[in-house]
Amino acid sequence: MPSLENIANFIHNWLYTTFNATVALLLEFTIVAILVIGLFSVLGLVLIFMERKVSAYMQVRLGPNRVGPKGIFQTVADTLKLMVKEGMTPNNADKFLFNLAPFIVMTAAMLILAPLAFAKNFQIWDINIGVLFVTAISSVSVIGILMAGWASNNKYSLLGAMRSGAQIVSYELSAGLSIITIVVLSESLKISTIIESQANGWWIFKGHIPAIIAFVIFIIAVTAETNRAPFDLAEAESELTAGFHTEYSGMKFALFFLAEYVNIFIVCVIGATLFLGGWMPLHFGTNTTFNEMMDYIPSSLWLFGKTFFLIFVIMWFRWTFPRLRIDQLLNLEWKYLLPISMINLLLATAMAILGWHF
Amino acid sequence: MGVTAILFWILSSLALLSAIMIVVSKNPVHSVLWLILVFFAISGHYLLLNAQFLAIVNIIVYAGAIMVLFLYVLMLIDLKKIVDPQRSLWIKLVGVATGCCLLLVLIAALSKADQTTALTQTIGGNIGLVENLGKILFSEYLVPFEISSILFLSAMVGAVVIGKK
Amino acid sequence: MLTDFLLLMKQELLLVAIIFILVFIKLGSKERSNESLLNAINILLLINLIAGIFNSQTGTLFGDMFNTNQLFIFEKNILNFGVLIISLQSYDWLKKHKHLIEFYLLLLSALLGMFLMLSSNNLLMFYLALELSTIPIAALCNFDLEKRKSSEAAFKMIISSAFSSGLLLLGISFFYGTTGTLNFAEIPATLNGNALQIFSFVLLIAGFGFKISAVPFHLWTADVYEGSPISVTSFLSVISKGAVVFVLVSVLYKVFEPLSEYWYTILFLLSLLTMIIGNLFALRQQNMKRFLAFSSIAQVGFILIGISGQSLEGTASVVFFILIYILSNLAAFGVINLVSSKCDKESIGDYKGFYKSNPQLTWVLTIALFSLAGIPPTAGFFGKFFLLMAGAAKNNYLLITVAALNMVIALYYYLRVIKAMFMDANENPIEKIKIPFQPKLAMIICVAGIIILGIYSNCYQYIFSLIK
Repeated sequence: MPSLENIANFIHNWLYTTFNATVALLLEFTIVAILVIGLFSVLGLVLIFMERKVSAYMQVRLGPNRVGPKGIFQTVADTLKLMVKEGMTPNNADKFLFNLAPFIVMTAAMLILAPLAFAKNFQIWDINIGVLFVTAISSVSVIGILMAGWASNNKYSLLGAMRSGAQIVSYELSAGLSIITIVVLSESLKISTIIESQANGWWIFKGHIPAIIAFVIFIIAVTAETNRAPFDLAEAESELTAGFHTEYSGMKFALFFLAEYVNIFIVCVIGATLFLGGWMPLHFGTNTTFNEMMDYIPSSLWLFGKTFFLIFVIMWFRWTFPRLRIDQLLNLEWKYLLPISMINLLLATAMAILGWHF
Repeated sequence: MGVTAILFWILSSLALLSAIMIVVSKNPVHSVLWLILVFFAISGHYLLLNAQFLAIVNIIVYAGAIMVLFLYVLMLIDLKKIVDPQRSLWIKLVGVATGCCLLLVLIAALSKADQTTALTQTIGGNIGLVENLGKILFSEYLVPFEISSILFLSAMVGAVVIGKK
Repeated sequence: MLTDFLLLMKQELLLVAIIFILVFIKLGSKERSNESLLNAINILLLINLIAGIFNSQTGTLFGDMFNTNQLFIFEKNILNFGVLIISLQSYDWLKKHKHLIEFYLLLLSALLGMFLMLSSNNLLMFYLALELSTIPIAALCNFDLEKRKSSEAAFKMIISSAFSSGLLLLGISFFYGTTGTLNFAEIPATLNGNALQIFSFVLLIAGFGFKISAVPFHLWTADVYEGSPISVTSFLSVISKGAVVFVLVSVLYKVFEPLSEYWYTILFLLSLLTMIIGNLFALRQQNMKRFLAFSSIAQVGFILIGISGQSLEGTASVVFFILIYILSNLAAFGVINLVSSKCDKESIGDYKGFYKSNPQLTWVLTIALFSLAGIPPTAGFFGKFFLLMAGAAKNNYLLITVAALNMVIALYYYLRVIKAMFMDANENPIEKIKIPFQPKLAMIICVAGIIILGIYSNCYQYIFSLIK
């Protein structure tokens, strides 16, 4: 059966038998880079279309329906428009930083893809501190946002960047703590080991209440970290025009926009990996027939299914909850989520030591 | 020259260049951004020493949190109003001279220093991996670890008092 | 095992317990009046002091990270005593302060840092403890929350202490590079006096120099002392300095013994510079706090002479001197604290005619200044005498001569203040100050200590017996 693992192995073997080691390594780098960029553009198209359709569904309207059947080429048309538009740089902006910022945000998003496992044994770099790596790099993207806001030399941009900075730095804490809850349970920071540990059941089932609390906190925190509604204060259009990317146009704007959606995808992959078993199929105890049926579904489909389910949940939030004020947002984090996740971590640790999980 | 050596030289020159740029930059925001680059280069050094945990924590804590707060403060200040104080030429000259003397002494001292045996053990070792680091932190270095928690507590109390007025 | 641990770390654990009690009082919702809190805290500090004196044990803990001996315990008791006196003296100022508990929390954390610094047996632990003993003080400097000068003092303190600990840390890193160990017990065997070791040692000394404000590193002292609240100034000038001097003695004598010929030269130069420059600057100060700041810099010069003696007498004389210095400096600061909190006057000119309105306070200040100047009936004379004796063991008569000359200069400026208080007339003198009970008690203890230690000399022998 052709799986991503087999294809990857085949290409790897072929490259190393055909070329010498250095060239093969360089070629592999190139292939990975092309795949990552490809994934990015496909994701951008799919997610933006999905967002439009989901919003339309939630608001009982049709959404895009002119370009292509059911409007599926609408995003492609928009992308083309953005590409041919002129990218302007404001006169008094700090030109270098202004132009650098979108690339930093984008590069940070690309780097996070490295340790993620997209299917069984299909991973770019299985670093043994994978989870921490993800946390570290995601904290770097805030620098790009602050740079964009400051370099634009515009008060709306600066305010948006400030809000975004405060938000990301604070919500990172509880996101990190809920990630650590799973690390405590699975006794590893390595993504592949964390997934292996869920072979006999996903952590959200095995981990009892602490895992469920951690999952809920994680979803809230990452929604805030990706600046999504109801935490989209950084670009609250009624107050700040468009937040930190007010001054951006054309392709540079598109990069920010794309990075936002890719970040949603990434955090959902992480959520799926940590709590929902990554590419592990759903198994029910000793019910072998059911288990084998589930095994037949390719592992990549499992991961993408779970991820898109989580993305759907996050999109659902957008049309369900009203936007918070900045002080409410920070209170929520520092006075509620952070203490809860600390106590939860303690609980999970006790559970892991006493062996109460399955 | 192996890959490690090449990477070492690249990272070192990057770190040094960025460190010089921190001092030279007129704009404090640029200085902070260069400083972030220094932290990345140093994290790269940690990776070369197989201290992955330190490398990542360095990025999380310094580049991701502390420097963001730095940027935050600097961006709230109206930098145009602050004029760089003019120092007299003599002070600059004396500063350069003392700096060069220090550099000279340091280079001379380093070139005469003996190679210690403990120096080479870090490369290829796995003391920097999370598990070993955790074990050593909670056994041998337990007391310093606990002291640092009191240090942070008192620093926080101080900051809150000053902040609240 | 557990009782050993408890007894060995008794003084540190007590402090931690008090800190936690304070945290819980702060977190509790019940409103308490400042007076009752202050009384409770003073009683706690008294218990801490008394409990520290009795039933102490010596040994090491945590695999050589922490060690303690009779001398360290005595030194910690001295520091405890000093903090209690400062706490009593600050009563009047703290009564009105809204961040009372935080003040004590930070003060005691700094004290805890000093204790751990004394007991540390590892450079890493030493560094952390040193940070713990400086960072809370920097916050404390800002405790006159409305005054700009206070914020400025805190800022200068944090910047200069960060710079000095940067130097110290660089020194420690190089040291680790050349010796491969951070453990105090293992370092002496690896010292061979090569260039890098000496360089890093110089960096270490520079770090120490900042903390005790020896002269090329003294620039922060006057501004910080002037801007900070007086209670914090007295803590900085007495407790903080004393703790670092204690550590300096034990580190130099035990760990860096093989490098003694190098550090003797360094100490010689530092003490010459410190005495001369400290005194010359003290001559022209008009503000009482700045005046005491520079005089305390000059005192450090004398202490360095004692350290350079490199003998048991050196250690004993330094510890003895610090004890006397704590008593005399705190007596002086006590008076200034009262005057400042009651009438907000700090310049020397304001003290003209002080004797007419406040004879008691004038006598306390006079005795304290006599002791600082080193005039015979007071304890200060013996303190300086033993220091110079210890220094003279090295037969470096240049240093001793300069020190003697400096004592004469110092006498001049101390007498200037005394003259102003007793003889000069003033149109609007400081009014009669009513002395609250706690500061009065503190002053009585200090003055009694100065006089008793001046007459009754067994204390020095006691310290000497602790070292052997």
